[in-house]
Amino acid sequence: MIHNTKYSLTIGWLYPELMSTYGDRGNIIALQKRCEWRGINIEVKRLDIGFDQKILTTCDMLFMGGAQDQQQKIVAEDLQKKSEALKKMIDNGIPGLYICGAYQFLGKYYKEAGGKIIKGLDILDLYTEHPGTKFARLIGNIAVKVSNLRGVTHATYEVNVQTLIGFENHGGRTYLGKNIKPLGKVIKGFGNNGADKTEGAIYKNSFGSYLHGPILPKNPSFADSLIKLALEKKYGSPINLSPLDDSLETLARKSIAKRLSIEL
Amino acid sequence: MTNALLIFLGKFIIFISRLFNLGNGSTWPGHIALLINKNFIKDLLITNNQKLKTILIAGTNGKTTTGKLVQTILERSGKKVFQNTAGANLLNGIASSLLLHSDILSARINYDFAIFEIDENTLPLILKEIKNPDFVIILNLFRDQLDRYGEVNTISKKWSDALGKLDERTTLILNADDPQVASLRLHPKGVNTKFFGLNDKSLATSEKQHAADSNYCPKCGSKLHYSAVYYSHLGNWTCLKCNNTRPKLDISTSSVFPLLGVYNRYNTIAAILLAQEVGISKNKIISALKDFQPAFGRQETLSINGKKVQIFLSKNPTSLNESLKTISDLKAKNLLLVLNDRIPDGRDVSWIWDVDFEDYIDEFSNIVISGDRTYDMALRIKYSQPIIHDSLFIIQEDLRKAIAMSLEKTPKPEILYILPTYSAMLEVRKILTGRRIL
Repeated sequence: MIHNTKYSLTIGWLYPELMSTYGDRGNIIALQKRCEWRGINIEVKRLDIGFDQKILTTCDMLFMGGAQDQQQKIVAEDLQKKSEALKKMIDNGIPGLYICGAYQFLGKYYKEAGGKIIKGLDILDLYTEHPGTKFARLIGNIAVKVSNLRGVTHATYEVNVQTLIGFENHGGRTYLGKNIKPLGKVIKGFGNNGADKTEGAIYKNSFGSYLHGPILPKNPSFADSLIKLALEKKYGSPINLSPLDDSLETLARKSIAKRLSIEL
Repeated sequence: MTNALLIFLGKFIIFISRLFNLGNGSTWPGHIALLINKNFIKDLLITNNQKLKTILIAGTNGKTTTGKLVQTILERSGKKVFQNTAGANLLNGIASSLLLHSDILSARINYDFAIFEIDENTLPLILKEIKNPDFVIILNLFRDQLDRYGEVNTISKKWSDALGKLDERTTLILNADDPQVASLRLHPKGVNTKFFGLNDKSLATSEKQHAADSNYCPKCGSKLHYSAVYYSHLGNWTCLKCNNTRPKLDISTSSVFPLLGVYNRYNTIAAILLAQEVGISKNKIISALKDFQPAFGRQETLSINGKKVQIFLSKNPTSLNESLKTISDLKAKNLLLVLNDRIPDGRDVSWIWDVDFEDYIDEFSNIVISGDRTYDMALRIKYSQPIIHDSLFIIQEDLRKAIAMSLEKTPKPEILYILPTYSAMLEVRKILTGRRIL
């Protein structure tokens, strides 16, 4: 169990100014607080338009949120210049969480409602298509069963089967390729595309998801697994996080589960 | 069916609705009229009400308050004015309001001015019905209910297309400090356009809030430079790349501000600017402002068993940030937060994480949390504290009990500040006053 200041983490928050529309900041706050409460030193580096890509390599974890369309275009331009550096980090297993627009970015392409194709960073084997403005956005509370987090990294690393709770709101439908696993299975809601019951994606230690809410405050064990992954990757040895009192988090999860008529 | 018949039918529906306490008929009589004649609004205004002047008020925050300010000033100068019921701001609400104020025999509207607060998505639709409104006020554009309204840029695009069809018969009153709103000026041609904004640096904030939306030039996409930020993305802005800049202001201050908060300074000067354009004298404007009473739930003060309660409707990140800032300036100690996620509130509550609770939370000694999403709000507050202490807030899902508890914990000369989302505000008022308003 750790509860001292021997450990420290640096989180790179990609485009906080532009890619933080649906309360995405809550994910950073959750990571920050859950580290602080355990005495882990944490630094959040805000990487806005024009940031020096050398900073990326000083980060132990990356986070990027969703955005509105215009903002997303501005970011796309900047990010394309840094895609090699980002790809290298993701391939090297630097843990990362990519929500909604960021998740779509990592794929091969995004086809807009009007048919225009926007090139993705081509880091993850997936693509996203907007079926057209006549099709409804996928909006609502969502529950996802996650079971394959186990074994994504260190042999000792293990996460029990758990249910992620969140809120989704996206027009694009994402389809996974052969070389990538979904984050979980949709129990209630739409997920990646509303058809194949998959939600999100896992590649090495990077996680893509459509879950807002934001995802981490209401899914504290997922937040902790990211922290653990990042610490183990950085220090190269198994690390057990000291437990926190998550009774309020549990109540928040249960109140949504009750509405969705599911058991947690 | 003729409009005269529709008015008769509509009034009958309103009568029945009120008789059986089914609500005050603020939307569905209009809904029925539009079902029978989809051009009901257009026909009614063109055929026999050409003298009625129309004022449309759009924007994410401040519509109801600005409408009430305009109405108060116009009435003070002897004009006959009506306004659609607050919150009934879709086409059906506007049609209902027209019905309600039409003479049942002549189908005429015997008023000088009609004020309509218009929902973001409805503005383009209403501009098809009311093609030449006399005034259009655009207050601001913030992110709000992304699940329902869509994204800020989508709305701004729809607005600029719709406003582009206006001509010289309309006076367009725009917030110069909001880059997206000010940039709507690029489109209408020949339209009399006037600008309001602030120039008082003592009101400026030191840093931009997290929930700010329009950091980037609506014209060229480069980052904007601000010499002063008043709240969210509102301020004295300029684009260093394409020279798009804040337009020259036609008004920036007033000797009287009847409501607290910087956000209400904008609402007030917008209303004054309109009144000046109508030709109302300064004295009449000022005396009307001095007697102004807030709209329900917007800084409305109630007295409950000898204790003072003030309700600050807080419906999106910017609105909640500004409420917190305003009550913090009042040295508030007692806070009741009520978060709902019904259709009028927006079903996604993620936005509470964009609110800067961290800046204020330590100032309160009594915090109670309630609403449909009590636990989401409780989590947000838990994560806003520098260190965890459980006793900081009380969780009570039952709103009636939550109100009772927070009142009980408020010592007598102090005020209980209630910050609810929209449907929560209606519920809070119903509990406190025993009456329904919508």
